[in-house]
Amino acid sequence: MKRPRIGVFKFTSCDGCQLTILNMEDEILDILELFDIAYFREATDKPLRGQFDMSIVEGSISTNWQKEDIVDVRERSRHLITIGACATSGGLQALRNWASLSSYKKYVYPSPDMITALSTSTPISDHVYVDYELWGCPINKDALSETLLSFLIGKKPGIPRYSLCMECKRHGIPCILVSNEEPCLGPITKAGCGALCTSFGRPCYGCFGPKDDANIESLMRYFQNLGLTQKGCISLLDKMNSYAYRKVRIEGSK
Amino acid sequence: MHTGRCELKAASKIIKVDYLSRVEGEGGLVIEIKDGKIARLHVNIFEAPRFFESFLRGRPYSDVMDFTARICGICPVAYQMSSVHAIEKIFGIEVEKPIHELRRLLYCGEWIESHALHIYLLNGPDFFGIESAWASREYLPIAKKGLTFKRLGNKILDILGGRSVHPVSIRIGGFYKTPGKKVLAALLPELKRAYEESLKEIKWAAGLNFNDNSWNTEYVSLTHQDEYPMNHGSVASNKGLNMSMEKFIESVQEYQVEYSTALHSGIKRDSSVSPYIVGPVSRLNLNHDRLPSEIKNVIRESGISLPITNTQMGIIARSVELAYAFYEAIRIINGYDEPDKPFVDFEKGAGEAVWITEAPRGILIHRYELDDAGHVKSCTIIPPTSQNFGHMEADIYRFLQNNADKSEDFIKKESEKIIRSYDPCISCSVHVMKIEK
Repeated sequence: MKRPRIGVFKFTSCDGCQLTILNMEDEILDILELFDIAYFREATDKPLRGQFDMSIVEGSISTNWQKEDIVDVRERSRHLITIGACATSGGLQALRNWASLSSYKKYVYPSPDMITALSTSTPISDHVYVDYELWGCPINKDALSETLLSFLIGKKPGIPRYSLCMECKRHGIPCILVSNEEPCLGPITKAGCGALCTSFGRPCYGCFGPKDDANIESLMRYFQNLGLTQKGCISLLDKMNSYAYRKVRIEGSK
Repeated sequence: MHTGRCELKAASKIIKVDYLSRVEGEGGLVIEIKDGKIARLHVNIFEAPRFFESFLRGRPYSDVMDFTARICGICPVAYQMSSVHAIEKIFGIEVEKPIHELRRLLYCGEWIESHALHIYLLNGPDFFGIESAWASREYLPIAKKGLTFKRLGNKILDILGGRSVHPVSIRIGGFYKTPGKKVLAALLPELKRAYEESLKEIKWAAGLNFNDNSWNTEYVSLTHQDEYPMNHGSVASNKGLNMSMEKFIESVQEYQVEYSTALHSGIKRDSSVSPYIVGPVSRLNLNHDRLPSEIKNVIRESGISLPITNTQMGIIARSVELAYAFYEAIRIINGYDEPDKPFVDFEKGAGEAVWITEAPRGILIHRYELDDAGHVKSCTIIPPTSQNFGHMEADIYRFLQNNADKSEDFIKKESEKIIRSYDPCISCSVHVMKIEK
């Protein structure tokens, strides 16, 4: 059997989700037998050429040239999946979407005119068709190997769409929101991390983005009853997945 | 898309690496040679800016460690460590010894993971003339060794931080939760095996082929009287620099050079500014007397002469530090008793502080100013790779002075190797560099 040709692409991001591929220390050599990793700048010198059976895309779109490049990647790819909060939701850098770019530039760079960047950071799906999205900041490596194997045998990856609360219950972790009255994003956030923060005794801060049909408004009201201000509530949503939480919130209030 | 290509002209040649490989992040290299002279040389960064220092403004202090971790997926712990110590300094918090040691153990995990990645998967292939760690059968056992080390580093991070990329356990005053003694002790057999193995690897690295590139440049790192530096110390160099963290941030200045259009950082001295190098070579040169005698012996037996004066020997220094990180992890776990409370109580308040820690790639400088509510008023973040860019170019410049007449392919390959030996993390560096595209 001919091995499917895989390309790994990076846009605006921290490299952590691509690193997840190299962090699959036990599986990586098997993966190399099953797949032909034909483009992956972080790990090989192989130049970009040809078509891909599947492209794995990390990072958000935040410059003009990236808008062109993502179309090129799409045209080269039979399937395209996005990995991580940047690629699926714009990432932490999407916080600029709700601010003024010129003030941002001035603050970081001595010669702000040299900086060419869009005023927004947006997910890949705002620009091209995406076949499958893997959420998380960073993604979970088991979810990545599940996705790769599912691709190989032609099935839908078995990745949960329900809320983190389910994962917490399964792990027998006492509810931080109800028992400790700490603002936890668990009820509106996708499962997938393995209930990490809550197992460390801290509230969920939303790495995996909003779950399907999340009722954000209701949780925000609950937070306000706990004594949080409106601004404090928004600041909880405005992290790595701010773009997605804000979108779901607006859609939910329609 | 960005693929490598060369442009040829009659009397001058332009050599371009459009997209560097086996480095973290996106950058390229442009060299122009006119009549045998270097007319232009610059490491070109096209990684998109992310404006961290802007959106940190106004955020509560408790968000800072989660946010800055996202600057780099390879060294998130370094960002958390520089942030947490700076903010604790503002609040006047002194953590207890077990917390200090656990944070050091967390850093050991990151050094192991990051160094093993660079030695075996990114830099190693250069010495075997192959395009990746899995490109040849002969290299595969070496790659596997690296993966075994790397897995163990990640395991430490998983236990202490929940996950290796963007750990979740660090908070102001300590940890959200500390591990039990038994959980850590279970790592010991594996760590001891890895430590024994890693000692042999120092000899392996020392036996690799290096270009002759000895020079008297300025090596900068933290130093500490009692320990090989990670989270504490003052800033020192082989040229007599010795100052507090606060003083050092004031003496770093950006400057321009004729052959490049990128801003560089260097150390201010009277009227001149000079480039310096941070990272494993600098750390080893300035701190090798703090290494355990067992590692010192292996260094001697391997024929490594200290200080290292060839900046391209980063892989040797990284191998020494890999062994040291295993040694240190074992020492910390052996002496560990779980603290009664994972964090100390504190009161937030306004203030300003600078803190520097040793990221795998070198010193990572953070400065924060907080208001009365504990919200960020302003901040500065200077990653190690931004500090190294100027030196990297100076290094390539030196190489070109003797090799400008060589073939494009040779120049391209060798220059890429020089850049790679610094283990640049362009994703980190981008938010203080000028962007060109």
